Amino acid sequence: MSRILSDWKGYVYNIAFFLNGLLVFLLFFESRFAVPQWMQALGRVHPLVLHFPLVVLILYSLWVMIVRKPDSHTWNEGLADSLLVIGTFTAAVAAFSGFVLSHEEGYESDTLLWHKWLGIAISLAAVVWYGARKSLLPWTVGAKVVAGAFLVLLFVGGHLGGNLTHGEDFLISPLGPSAEPVQHVAFEEAKVYEHLVKPVIEQKCLSCHNEEKSKGGLQMQTEALLKKGGKGGKLWDTTKADLGLLISRLHLPLDDKKHMPPRGKVQLTEEEVVLLAAWVKSGSRFDQLVSSLSPQSPVYSYAQNVLGGDRTEEQYAFSAASADEVQKLNTNYRLIKPLSAGSPALFVNFYNRANFKNQDIEGLLPLKDQIVSMDLSKMPVKDEDLKALAKFPELRRLILNFTDITGGNLTELKKLANLRELSLSGTGITMAHVKSLEGFPALRRVYLWSTGISPQDLETLKKGQKIAFETGFRSDTLVMALNPPVITNEKQLIGKGETVAMKHQIAGTVIRYTLDGSEPDSSSSPVYEKPIAINGNLKLKARAFRKGWYGSTQVSKLFFKEGFHVDSAQLITPVDQRYHAKGAASISDGKVGDTERVSGTWLGYVENDFQSYLFFKKPVKASVVTVSTLRSFGSFIFEPTRIEVWGGADPKTLKLLKVISPGVPAKDIPGTENIVYEAGFEPQQLSCIKLVAKPLAKIPAWHAGKGNKGWLFVDEVIVN
Amino acid sequence: MEKPIFDYGVNTTRRHFLSKLSLGLGSAALGSLLIPDLFKGGGGEPDVNELMAGLPHFAPKAKRVIYLFQNGAPSQLDLFDYKPMLNKMHGQDLPESIRGGQRLTGMTANQAKFPLAGSIFNFKQHGKSGAWMSELLPHMAGIADDLCIIKTLNTEAINHDPALTFFQTGAQVGNRPSFGAWLSYGLGSENQNLPGFCVLLSRGKGNGQGVYSKLWTNGFLDSVHQGVQFSSGENPVLYLNDPDGMDRTQRRKMLDNLAELNQGTFNDFGDPEITAKVQQYEMAFRMQTAVPEITDMSKEPESIVKMYGPECLVPGTYAANCLLARKLSEQGVRFVQLYHQGWDSHGGLPTEIKGQCMDVDQASAALVTDLKQRGLLDETLVIWGGEFGRTNYCQGTLTKDNYGRDHHPRAFTVWMAGGGIKPGIVYGETDEFGYNIVKDPVHVHDFHATILNQLGLDHEKLVYKHQGRRYRLTDVAGKLVKGIIA
Repeated sequence: MSRILSDWKGYVYNIAFFLNGLLVFLLFFESRFAVPQWMQALGRVHPLVLHFPLVVLILYSLWVMIVRKPDSHTWNEGLADSLLVIGTFTAAVAAFSGFVLSHEEGYESDTLLWHKWLGIAISLAAVVWYGARKSLLPWTVGAKVVAGAFLVLLFVGGHLGGNLTHGEDFLISPLGPSAEPVQHVAFEEAKVYEHLVKPVIEQKCLSCHNEEKSKGGLQMQTEALLKKGGKGGKLWDTTKADLGLLISRLHLPLDDKKHMPPRGKVQLTEEEVVLLAAWVKSGSRFDQLVSSLSPQSPVYSYAQNVLGGDRTEEQYAFSAASADEVQKLNTNYRLIKPLSAGSPALFVNFYNRANFKNQDIEGLLPLKDQIVSMDLSKMPVKDEDLKALAKFPELRRLILNFTDITGGNLTELKKLANLRELSLSGTGITMAHVKSLEGFPALRRVYLWSTGISPQDLETLKKGQKIAFETGFRSDTLVMALNPPVITNEKQLIGKGETVAMKHQIAGTVIRYTLDGSEPDSSSSPVYEKPIAINGNLKLKARAFRKGWYGSTQVSKLFFKEGFHVDSAQLITPVDQRYHAKGAASISDGKVGDTERVSGTWLGYVENDFQSYLFFKKPVKASVVTVSTLRSFGSFIFEPTRIEVWGGADPKTLKLLKVISPGVPAKDIPGTENIVYEAGFEPQQLSCIKLVAKPLAKIPAWHAGKGNKGWLFVDEVIVN
Repeated sequence: MEKPIFDYGVNTTRRHFLSKLSLGLGSAALGSLLIPDLFKGGGGEPDVNELMAGLPHFAPKAKRVIYLFQNGAPSQLDLFDYKPMLNKMHGQDLPESIRGGQRLTGMTANQAKFPLAGSIFNFKQHGKSGAWMSELLPHMAGIADDLCIIKTLNTEAINHDPALTFFQTGAQVGNRPSFGAWLSYGLGSENQNLPGFCVLLSRGKGNGQGVYSKLWTNGFLDSVHQGVQFSSGENPVLYLNDPDGMDRTQRRKMLDNLAELNQGTFNDFGDPEITAKVQQYEMAFRMQTAVPEITDMSKEPESIVKMYGPECLVPGTYAANCLLARKLSEQGVRFVQLYHQGWDSHGGLPTEIKGQCMDVDQASAALVTDLKQRGLLDETLVIWGGEFGRTNYCQGTLTKDNYGRDHHPRAFTVWMAGGGIKPGIVYGETDEFGYNIVKDPVHVHDFHATILNQLGLDHEKLVYKHQGRRYRLTDVAGKLVKGIIA
């Protein structure tokens, strides 16, 4: 045993020699060499084994390079000798296994060829060197030359091998300019394949599926190659449920052997898998623009995340302006501010038309290299000022809504190479000027609402062009109903000299009204011109009309003429405690017409009649007594069944002057309304008036409360 | 008796004195280190107005917000969330498995049954996204391609006051700064002649719930950031005009003298509220010229009147407020908030909601269109929604054509337009009962975080230290809803 061990070098060398011989033999018959399955494992140890010859032989060569003729020739010689034999042996194993590996799928390229032959050269040369080591003593020049050559072979061959596994620029790529993971392409111009799918393939697939190394016979670096597919066939098949090879492999569980990318390599993110699946499902087109997709599509949302959405946070190439300068030019009416903290870009807003001077634009020129957005809406900007605006090269957005421009000099703005958005709503520009906008280099969006351009011309603009035109709301074809006029009187009791007035907010409207309770119409009813004087109680109904609009709905209100001042009133019968308001005072307090039963102006009676006296210190010449009541069947409030008006000089000498019998209602009337009864009689001097009103004793059958007592509500009695 | 007299004589409290002393000395020292000639004499810089201070943290998509708040909680099941299952199961009890122990309000807690109520309104799909909208919202349906409809807003609050407070201030407890106040603090106002935060109120005929100044308060922030409530009458800003006999130059002189007096008091007492007050006077002075121009509705062209509906010329209506909001926003007001009351349909929902929709539908859609045609929609964020949703079961008696709905915080709908939000999508899904969220919930904190993000603010960085802790609008929560950001 010990003999074998002490002789180990010999054995090792022999094995190496054998392997090299076998290798040379196989090289001659390479074309007929097919690797059996079991032998593939042998090939696969190559990445493992190759490290040994590299290290060992480099070590040995370095030693040879630096060693001098020693005092004792046994110095390190034993170790060095062992190194060489080990190196030779492992080189042979590596070369052999490399040879076997090279016959596996996916390795066909120049790099491989060089690496292979260099590797074989190293192996053979190593065997020869070991054999001739006695004549090539380490400290001789010859040996050093050989060692140097070896180093070169090892480094170059080794590096090429590294290229095969990791890609060409693996070593230095982190040092170079950072690879743009996101190309700064504008969203509107982004293409689905070019800017979304391709980066994913480049990052995650290309390292094994390229020209140098094409696993599975698949190369993915160009459109044509992708379409061609690999050994497994085409990459996608939209007729299949799993969408074909590419997507199905992506969707396999990580443990699965066929899962792509292989375990241990950088995996695709979930969003990237969704992106590729959606791309394949929609036909794996190479020419599609992202902007043509629907916002619902997952590709669209992926694009928004990766490309930064509709508006990428723009990286500005200019540096910030001096803060002093900005501060100096900032006024209450011309606001200059950076877009955000730390951003060099500035935006300018103008306010208050009266304070605007045309020099205000020129005054901003010191900041012309930083201003990206200007809002001049409603300012008296004229066509001449456009020349000044053209001096701001960094402008991306210009708002000229409702300025005084008419389109002359608009072409001056063509000089603005960055101008993307232009708003001209409310200006006097014409169609010809709009056509000239086509020539603007960067213009993408134009707003043209409320200009002099006819709707027909605007229609022609809508076809999909480079510039998106926003034309806004079209109102010329719209007919709507007016809102009703407003009756400006707050209270409904009109005194002497007071009038009833109405108005309407929309200028040019005609208000037509009636006083007799009929419906106002647009042709026959009187037109309201000035406030109406009131002679008696009147019911005002009014509607508003205007050319080009439908007539409004009706507004109506009840007005009472103020009567004689009542010195005192007295309630003869008790009022119901739930609706006692202010007692007797309520019926002559001037508050009338409110239809809210709980408002506190109504007196309610259910158990007994309403009976009251009205006293006048000085006799009045009365001819009509007006009683204001409430009708609200839903709240069980009914009209009185009988009203009696008595009058005389005092309570003892009263004569019955008038009786009104409204009777029992026959059917339901919804809603709440103020019902007024006017009891007229011979004009006569009266000092005392007695009023009797009887509530409905028994609610008729058609009502929900049939059989019960109905309510009577009174709020005012007016004597005229 | 001695101490108060002493305090008055010294004109300060111990706390003020000590903090002033330490801050003053410390900052003086630091200043002299950083700025070599700090202690040299020389012309001082004019006081930079506080409101100009803020800058967004990163490039914003939106510069301004118009928040159309539908107070009372509109019923999402009758407007946006189409649930035919409810019509199929009309009258049947809500399964306990769906309800999952959701707490009830005091109004329905005693109900024995919770009969499901299908909407009596017809729904149709609109726009490229196929968003379902009911027949009550024809104009909003017309702009479906501009809207981002989020169906899965959720909150914990179940009653109006805490829910409103939550939406406006980021917490159910009161007295925190409101949204607009945070924006005013973080970004300032664009236009120095108008307040940065305006509030416009209107009332519908439906069952109304109150709104109160707690919802636009400045909380613990400087009172400069408080929302300015415009009146609903003929004069939106009361007492703005000079009284008869006083002209503008006189007013200016008066204000200058007043400022001098106030400055004297400030030097004595050091109360920051005094400077805030002086600034408000100055702002009011500038508003005198800026506001009448905006609130003058008589010059609006007919096309505008037709677009918003003729109601827009009647001050105090929702349509008029929408038009005013557009005008204010156009002039640079950072945050305009509208409140329209009357959506709280606990009973008689079909009639009430019809009236409410008639009030708001046309004007809300017109606002979005109006901004779009002026090229302002990209930088203005428009939001429409309430404080919570309504239940799928009926409150009160359920008949074939009448029902009421109670409050439902678990899932409701809000839409947003413009301001860098993805247009033409529907975000989130609720279950077929319209009760629970199935996909993509958006909590009120997430909602706030996303809006702040659109304005260029990191919601975790916009903080204010108060009572020892750093408060922020999103309190301690809030995640960006990436799916709606364009």
